[in-house]
Amino acid sequence: MKKYLSIFKISFAQEFAYRVNFIMWRVRNVLQILLVFFLWSAVFTNPQTELFGYNRDKILTYVFGIFILRALVLSSRAVDIAGEIARGELTNYLLKPINYIKYWFTRDISSKALNLSFATVEIVILYFFLRPTFFIQTDPLQIFLFLVAVVFAVVMFFGLLVLVNFVTFWLPEGGWASQFLIIVIFTEFLSGAVFPIDILPEAIQNVLYALPFPYLMFFPLQVYLGKLSMTATLQSLLISGIWMMFMIVVINQVWARGIKKYSAVGR
Amino acid sequence: MMSKNAFLAMLNHRMGVVIFTAGKVLRFTFFGAFIYFLLSKTNTLAGYTLHQTLFFFLTFNLIDVISQFLFREAYRFRPLIVSGNFDLILIKPINALFRSLMGGADILDLFTIPPLIFAVYYVGSLLDPTASQVILYIILVANGLVISTAFHIAVLSLGIITLEIDHTIMIYRDLTNLGRLPIDIYKQPLKGVLTYLVPVGVMITLPAKAMMGLVTPVGVAISFALGFIMMTLMLRFWKLALKQYTSASS
Repeated sequence: MKKYLSIFKISFAQEFAYRVNFIMWRVRNVLQILLVFFLWSAVFTNPQTELFGYNRDKILTYVFGIFILRALVLSSRAVDIAGEIARGELTNYLLKPINYIKYWFTRDISSKALNLSFATVEIVILYFFLRPTFFIQTDPLQIFLFLVAVVFAVVMFFGLLVLVNFVTFWLPEGGWASQFLIIVIFTEFLSGAVFPIDILPEAIQNVLYALPFPYLMFFPLQVYLGKLSMTATLQSLLISGIWMMFMIVVINQVWARGIKKYSAVGR
Repeated sequence: MMSKNAFLAMLNHRMGVVIFTAGKVLRFTFFGAFIYFLLSKTNTLAGYTLHQTLFFFLTFNLIDVISQFLFREAYRFRPLIVSGNFDLILIKPINALFRSLMGGADILDLFTIPPLIFAVYYVGSLLDPTASQVILYIILVANGLVISTAFHIAVLSLGIITLEIDHTIMIYRDLTNLGRLPIDIYKQPLKGVLTYLVPVGVMITLPAKAMMGLVTPVGVAISFALGFIMMTLMLRFWKLALKQYTSASS
């Protein structure tokens, strides 16, 4: 456990070694949320408008919730795995008494902690500039279930990202493209980061709810906003939990197979 | 010849290229579908109808994709500066700016641009424009590309001076992404910033508005002036940046 704590601290400090990179990354996150915020502000100009089950307060809470959950769920250092495998740098880790997947999960948590700290400050600044009205959840059970959903989402996204990066074992040049398709495109749109999934027709929603993406950000926010019945919440939590366990099992299996394929090309 | 070399280099990573292109097409489709489903319920967005909003989105994509097609090499500029290999470009009998900016056109976009132009034509025709509106649209799109060129020159110049280019170019992309929808959705001062300071509005929203007959002669004149001024300033900035290049690692 101590070694992972050290990894956490070193990873945390490492983020500050590339300060410009980090600041630019945070600036980009703020810019990305502005489009979504002003779009929904324009749709809900009239505070009495109710659309897709949202009113102005709930949709703007959703937007700011996306901003926080991006920092918590989607910020990850594990994007570097593909490069390490392709360059043969994975060999360094195989020689050390450390579990490679746990190593990256620890680094992920470190990155999320830092991103969340900054996102919280940025939210406060954005609040003073944009002055949105918020929906504040007061039901302790809903808040608890929201937090459980977020934990599942964090582990699920880590698993998904690692799985996509492990493609590099078989396709050394395919890691970046797979990341772009699955993480940038599918995750961005199907997780509810650009728009809530429930604006889509029900037939499309039903297909998407069978995939892991809506459980990354859309579903936790639905729980927070109290938009789901308790039955639906528990059902969806179960699906989210199953996806999380699936990811954990699959990445370990893929790792076991990938490491047999690994030939340290580039070393 | 440079584009041919870029194409041949791309063929070495066929699978990655196919997946990457599929991702770009999907991104376009998802956002387009989102606009469709949203406006099918709301009917308007900031006073614009579904067809108008789709046209703004298509114009954004047209300018964005053509810029990426032409200036893909700018995304490969940082390694040249950091390694000092930029020296090898400076000593060749080719304009260094031209080589750094347009030395590796993204041939894949040759497949995505024609359907995009068709989509712009189709949705544009639904707006029932006059001939003069169409001509003004084309000229303003060209002006938008001039502004985009100026932006890319600025990014390259900053890259020489600061060695930081990757995030700068992505911030430029994030700013232009704000033009996916008409900038009328934004409030002041952001709207003012996007119109005059980082002229995303002039680049993207204005051409689309020209097609709808919503621009004034003064607005058009300002946009051309802005394009000219930006290009002139950025070319000077490039020359200044070249004087700062220290070839640190070569």
